Amino acid sequence: MSVFAGIQAAPGPPALARWQHARRRGHITLFAVIMLLLALSVWAVQDSVIPGTDWRRMDGFAAVLMGFGRFLPPDPSLLPTLFAPALQTILIAIVGTLLGALMSLTVALLGAANLRPLGAPGYILARGLMTMSRSIHEIVWALIFVSAVGLGAFAGILALACRSVGFVSKLLAEAIERIDMRQVEALRAQGASPLDMIRHAIIPQLLPIGLSTLIFEWDININRAAVLGLVGAGGLGLSFHNQLIASNYAGVTTVLLAILAVILVGEAISVQLRRRIV
Amino acid sequence: MNRIDVAPILYRRRRRLVLRFVLLLALGAGLWLTLQYLNVRLERFATLFDRLGILLTERYYPPDFEYILRPRFLQSVLETIHMALVATLVGLLLAVPLAWFAAFNASPLPRAGQAAARVVITGARAIHEMIWAIVFIMVLGYGVLAGVLALTLGCIGFAGKLFAEEIESIDDAPVEAMRASGAGSQAVFFFGVLPQVRTAFIGISIYTWDVVFRSATVVGFFGAGGMGWYLRRTADQLQSDRVAAIILLIAALVVISELVSHHARTALEGRSGQRVLER
Repeated sequence: MSVFAGIQAAPGPPALARWQHARRRGHITLFAVIMLLLALSVWAVQDSVIPGTDWRRMDGFAAVLMGFGRFLPPDPSLLPTLFAPALQTILIAIVGTLLGALMSLTVALLGAANLRPLGAPGYILARGLMTMSRSIHEIVWALIFVSAVGLGAFAGILALACRSVGFVSKLLAEAIERIDMRQVEALRAQGASPLDMIRHAIIPQLLPIGLSTLIFEWDININRAAVLGLVGAGGLGLSFHNQLIASNYAGVTTVLLAILAVILVGEAISVQLRRRIV
Repeated sequence: MNRIDVAPILYRRRRRLVLRFVLLLALGAGLWLTLQYLNVRLERFATLFDRLGILLTERYYPPDFEYILRPRFLQSVLETIHMALVATLVGLLLAVPLAWFAAFNASPLPRAGQAAARVVITGARAIHEMIWAIVFIMVLGYGVLAGVLALTLGCIGFAGKLFAEEIESIDDAPVEAMRASGAGSQAVFFFGVLPQVRTAFIGISIYTWDVVFRSATVVGFFGAGGMGWYLRRTADQLQSDRVAAIILLIAALVVISELVSHHARTALEGRSGQRVLER
């Protein structure tokens, strides 16, 4: 009895009541959130999905299944023609990521709260660029650059670079904010130029996290590069587009499988490389 | 007496410099070859900024804000939000069980189920949602449903992987304890796994909404519903002032959505005391 007495004295009935109350409130919140989401989705389905879809074209469930069946089996005879586009996609991703890295480093230095080399205007500009880069989809970036430099891989590279700045520079800026400032101060005390400080005090401290971020971003950029061909930036996206225009369903599946293979290989390489760095 | 022989140090240092130089040279040559292969004309880079400047000041500016205030366009914006909403909810509902099956430490069917769930998540993730959208359009025709399905797959791929990683990093002790006392795999999931990952799951879900909404703004580009279609049409007709207005609207919507999610995540962190994933 004496053992239980101690326990009862500590939390006591009020604590239990409080706990039950909090638990009940949690349940009510959860219920309210679920009901709200349910209502929103019913509204969305009724207002957009049902009127916005061409139900007659689908012509029943069996016809839809038949429609998916047309994609099978894939056409392996197309595979040899996909090597060059696959290589292009990978290369576009590599060069785009590298260019994006250069741009990100600049943006990150401007946007790191502890450095602010150009003061508040530079900081605000850098943060604005980061947000802009992330909120504009890669397809839109590609559209802008296709109209600036014409069709081809160059537009794709620029689009990927601009799209990468948001994520990479945000992580880099966070890493810069955590660096050991004494190394920078030491160089400054010896009269080093800002470039020397970046080169010898900041970049060495950023290298591990920077490299791992870049490899991760490259992996994502392969995925994006594969879609940029749809708006004229070459690579596997262009092959996909060609099969699509020709309504060659088996060919579409083949290109899809090729994209899948390239991305899986890229992901495996990325995981291996990052494991070696960290 | 303690003389230091500097020769080997100098030698090593020189060797490192030479190695670094060779590496740099190889990288430069590789980059040059790549650019040649991709047919990138670097001389265009010089004129790029002039062209971009002209493009931005003469064709994209001033944005045609009147266009994006037309009722038909605003209707498409609402449609975009609806698509993102349905796709996120359905996608998350499917992603949780898929992640449960895919996680190596909690999977109820460790062999076949785990492999199947992994294939679904990886496949959904590896193929870009724009490509999924086109595939669905080829089967279902133009319209919102194709877009919603494509976004749902995108959501499954994105959230499924993060959910599975979260489950794989839980503390195994409660799970082991439950298993040892004879709990079934469902009980283990609901009372051993879920309480440990609940906060993280909500954080990931909020983050997923951001990603899906961003995709939803352009998924209509090839006719899968939403405002993307207007982007395509104005871009094809070279109505750059309208394109500019639409791009600015997309950026504004994404920023608003991110601000809301940021606040939601901060509130979640405050209530749970746990760090919530943020990018």
